[in-house]
Amino acid sequence: MPVRHLFRYGTLLAITGLGLYLLAPPKQAPSAADRPASRSGEAAQEPRFTIKIAPGQSYMPGIVPSGIGEPLRGLTTVIDRFEARFPDTHIEVLNVPAVREYLVTQLSSGSAPDIVNANVEDVWVDVHKDWYVPLDSFLQAPNPFVLERNDPHVPGARQWWDMFRYQAISRGKAAPNGKSYCLSLDMVETGIFYNKTLFAELGLQPPPDWEAFLVLLQDLRDAGKIPLLMSIGAFNDWCHDLVFDQLYHDLLPGIDLKQDASREGYLQGYLDPEEIAFLYREKDFFTRKDPRYRELWQHLRRLRDFTNSDLNSTDLTREFVNQQGAMLWSGSWLTYRLSADKGLGFDWGVFYLPPFTRKTSAYASLTPTPMCVIGGVASQFEVTNSAVADTDPGLPFAERIRNSQRLQRVIAFLQFLSLPENAETVINEYSCLIPNIVGVEPLPPLAPFVEILERRYTTTKWAYTFDLRFNDVMTRMLQMYLTDGVDLDEFLDWQERNLRAATTNFVSRKQLDLDGLEAAWQQRAAVRATMVDLPPTR
Amino acid sequence: MQRLQSTFVCYAIILPSMALLLSFVYLPVVWAFSKSLSAFEVGGRDTFVGLDNYVEYLSQDPTTFPSLLNMFLLTLFAVCVRLTFPLIVAKLIYVLPAERWRYLYRVVFLVPIVVPGVAVQLIWARMIYADAGLLNEALRALALQSWTHGWLSDPGTALVAVMMVGFPFVGGFEVLVYYAGLSAIPDSVEEAAEMEGCSGLSKFLRIDIPLVMSQLKLILMLTVIGGFQGFEGLFIMTRGGPGFATTVPGLWMYFNAFSFQRMGYACAIGVLLFVMIFALTVINIRYFRSAEEVKGEAA
Repeated sequence: MPVRHLFRYGTLLAITGLGLYLLAPPKQAPSAADRPASRSGEAAQEPRFTIKIAPGQSYMPGIVPSGIGEPLRGLTTVIDRFEARFPDTHIEVLNVPAVREYLVTQLSSGSAPDIVNANVEDVWVDVHKDWYVPLDSFLQAPNPFVLERNDPHVPGARQWWDMFRYQAISRGKAAPNGKSYCLSLDMVETGIFYNKTLFAELGLQPPPDWEAFLVLLQDLRDAGKIPLLMSIGAFNDWCHDLVFDQLYHDLLPGIDLKQDASREGYLQGYLDPEEIAFLYREKDFFTRKDPRYRELWQHLRRLRDFTNSDLNSTDLTREFVNQQGAMLWSGSWLTYRLSADKGLGFDWGVFYLPPFTRKTSAYASLTPTPMCVIGGVASQFEVTNSAVADTDPGLPFAERIRNSQRLQRVIAFLQFLSLPENAETVINEYSCLIPNIVGVEPLPPLAPFVEILERRYTTTKWAYTFDLRFNDVMTRMLQMYLTDGVDLDEFLDWQERNLRAATTNFVSRKQLDLDGLEAAWQQRAAVRATMVDLPPTR
Repeated sequence: MQRLQSTFVCYAIILPSMALLLSFVYLPVVWAFSKSLSAFEVGGRDTFVGLDNYVEYLSQDPTTFPSLLNMFLLTLFAVCVRLTFPLIVAKLIYVLPAERWRYLYRVVFLVPIVVPGVAVQLIWARMIYADAGLLNEALRALALQSWTHGWLSDPGTALVAVMMVGFPFVGGFEVLVYYAGLSAIPDSVEEAAEMEGCSGLSKFLRIDIPLVMSQLKLILMLTVIGGFQGFEGLFIMTRGGPGFATTVPGLWMYFNAFSFQRMGYACAIGVLLFVMIFALTVINIRYFRSAEEVKGEAA
């Protein structure tokens, strides 16, 4: 064979080889999924159950949080313990895209992981499709792993529910149909991270009330800093809810129409979606005729003058760390990033938003009401329809749930994971999330957030009250208003139409009869008689 | 018999491709047409609603007019820059005296094609337009602090900022297409033009442009189709915001389909886009003359 042919074929072979090499899957760090099913001399056996869990980034084995420190392995440790207890079970950990599109496609084809970590609000909109398993019957029963300890007083011996520390927030995540689809081992709360060193240099202190907060913001701007770093998401979700609560708090006795004995104990006047729908559609609340609602957005606009120019910025931490921004409204997850950064160059602290006073608004409580809790569950585990894949798909979903042995094992894993010793291994691997399990203490850097979480829960969660379209349109138009793309009236016009569409959709999907709330409204007429500036009655 | 056998073999060979084409291209299109008449969400019930989705989009949806306007503006801008800048560059390369330099420049303009579009969008969004990006930092360095912007989050600048992505708009693909067109102009035409005293800009406008009309037409069609269909860049950079300042119908279709679960409504938007693209393509084919037609007329 001529040399040039050898060269040609050799080159082709080399290119083919290189292509195959590049196409080969990359080697991954050892994870729970890679470990053999057998251990310590046991004969290898095919697992009876292979359970797939997508735990999200906070628990994902192999992830290095914020790129600092050692890779996480807490979940792997717990899985090892579980598999040692149940040798016929193999737990596979998956790193999946944290996007709704992924979930929808996987769930509709029945190929989603058995346990996913998804915002429960994204779950609510799909519960009628039998994509998720309601967990109430399991949560109301004892945790079998706790029962084994033969101590009836240990949380979990009576009800699995009892193992969760933040009952209000945990149970508050029940879907609008009243069922719980979400299990959370941990909590997250927001706060204002501030540059303590800079504050000391300028002689500034965390403010006691909103007026002082605005003065503080001005002082920081005069000092050449971006006073407050926050994203459009923080405006739309967190800030919106806090200011709404400040302005409407005193009205709650007259407008909280639905009293649910099983929830009122911890949700204390929470405005449910049907209450908001009723107040909007029948009583002109949350319209231009509602002076509180109008004022709400003006407070947000005023605050926007002191924030970063780009509300879409995805890396506000950078501005805080390089000290261009003096304060950053973020969540407890940031504590690890800041604590672990040895080259940060300044001290930092956390405070919470201060309350409105009568100077701030005529609608604020006479005695300032502390800002409420807006945080909530962090990791949100839902059990999907894949968990009942061992049953006949032709059967009703409730029956599949009753019959499925695979589901029993999936639930067993979650019950095992929520034991304090296991939860501690996973949650307290680094300071990011606040444990929601009784008996697991939070790590010291998270102390400020633990204090915040003790407060009263928010009046409502606007961003997640209705469908995802409502939230999307509200976010978009709020950003337009905050950046002077539209004026307040135009924004309110959008918001009213948005609420109209969302409440119509909500009422028709849930087949609600709002007339029932009219009687409750009439009953509270005397209470409302003492309240001022309510929308004019029709 | 042998001919029949040969024909049969040919059909057998293309049958799998046809089956795949039908299954994955034509069937979904037909499906989309039918679903556009339904209120339908993935995994949910399917209710026939007739033309309601179309009526809602064309008469009730407040995003329709602004998003169509954005789409036309973005497409018009893209057409303008893709029909001019790459052609000028191709001509400049073409008139270089040495083949070695022509080759070098062709390669230089072609190499950036390998950079994925998503990466380009991310570079512009996060490195150039970001709060602490190249543009704002340059302005700060020039003591023009007051000129700094959230370029993509400010309603006054977002659409223009999106348009400017890809500056100076000299795509390797277009340059290569125009260069091929210029190379195909017969020497006799060039010589005749020279003899008639037609050179420089005059030759470019009167000889070169008419004779690369096929290429211009191709780029025009691709740009219009891309402009009407494409939304990935907007999704990555602005998600159509702030407000609906950079929303286009394709992006709204995507959100309705996968975020809001209004699959039937999304299908209706898709069908309307299809109709618009189809109409423009027909107009393009019908009314824009190709180089061959120009040559034919000249002959």
